[in-house]
Amino acid sequence: MNELSLLYNYLAVGGILFALGLIGFLVRRNMIVMFLCAEMMLQGVSVSLIGFGRYHGSLAAAGIASAGQAEWSQAAGPWGGQMLVIFIITVAACEAGIAMALVLMLARRSGSLDAAFWQDLREEGQPAFVDQEVPEERTEDRVWPVLTPAGVRPESDPDQLLHRPRV
Amino acid sequence: MSHWLLTETLHLSEALLLAEGLPGWREVLLCRSFWAILLGGLAVWLLLPNRIAYGKTLGGVLGIIGAGLFAADWPLLGNWTDQGVFWLLALITIGAAASTICSRSPVYSAIWFALSILGTAGLFFYNGAQFLGVATVVVYAGAIVVTFLFVIMLAQPAGHSDYDRITWGWFPKTFSVLTAAVFVGLLTMLLGNLKTAAEAPVEPAALAAAAERLEQPGGVLNSAHMANVGKHLFTEHLISVELAGTLLLAALVGAVAMAIQGKPRLATQIEEALR
Repeated sequence: MNELSLLYNYLAVGGILFALGLIGFLVRRNMIVMFLCAEMMLQGVSVSLIGFGRYHGSLAAAGIASAGQAEWSQAAGPWGGQMLVIFIITVAACEAGIAMALVLMLARRSGSLDAAFWQDLREEGQPAFVDQEVPEERTEDRVWPVLTPAGVRPESDPDQLLHRPRV
Repeated sequence: MSHWLLTETLHLSEALLLAEGLPGWREVLLCRSFWAILLGGLAVWLLLPNRIAYGKTLGGVLGIIGAGLFAADWPLLGNWTDQGVFWLLALITIGAAASTICSRSPVYSAIWFALSILGTAGLFFYNGAQFLGVATVVVYAGAIVVTFLFVIMLAQPAGHSDYDRITWGWFPKTFSVLTAAVFVGLLTMLLGNLKTAAEAPVEPAALAAAAERLEQPGGVLNSAHMANVGKHLFTEHLISVELAGTLLLAALVGAVAMAIQGKPRLATQIEEALR
């Protein structure tokens, strides 16, 4: 495989993932979707780092040199990207745990996941954000998925349907 | 600047990354990536939650054209099997990511995000990062996305809500899409030299040497991959491992403290109930 092309392609994919996460974080109002987009930005960075690691591995003879500190750090070059991604995953897991606890608390207080509910936190003198257009719920949005009935309908006692045998 | 930084910068492989000058407008207009980013930005703008008639169809078509144009401008990997696998993985990753930010329902967003994560894990596998591919699937798709889905179902049982079908307004939407498009465009422009170097013909001997270096003991593609990951993680990065463990503990304590905030202790509750 052409290693330079591989590096270019991975950097491009990582950049696009980061950009999509950026758009989502700035545009969406659901707090959970905003955090999903933050995770997506981290993924974009991870993809770039993995690409760099592979490219450095194809450049240098890795891991053979053992004498001396300089050679040791050079030998570690190809693995630096992967090590960094391991720590990115750790930090992302911490972030997700904290964020979920926060979002749950905020949702319990406000009753919704809308980030605009908390706009009281804005600076003094800033005008309030008002929705220009609130779309009406369309009929196709109201349709909920239904399970297809399977098998024979069980016989039920009409008396039992009216009262519960035990409480 | 330190001597180390200087030598690193002068290293050939690092110097390859950055383009020397700015391209002229004629070059930009003739570049496929420019039109691809333009179409892709327009597609995302149309697909984001709004009330544009035929927005989804138009955005989808524009997005497919833009993705095709962009992929056609990337340097080829050499082998058509490799190329096909890479394009498939990249398509899954980016398509699912775009669907994540465009879905009206947060549940669908989370599921699309899980698919995007699976695509990313495939990209990791493809680049020789086996442990990270598995870890991404386990940690992200297995734990984080499931937690997200739990919270969505706890916090939003009513399903469709107003604020998922609108955004902050046309101005923030337009400008965030513009920012992201400029970001990708600048990245593509800065990587121009790398692209030129990648499109230059390579001798098969050089390719074979690079592949051999990757499979040497200590290389990324060597079969002792996990042993190497462990070696580097627990020697050079030992302090970082300890710090990451401390961070996880702090996050755990913080999350619990936030979740029980304001509630009396269980013993107090029982005493009050018995009184």
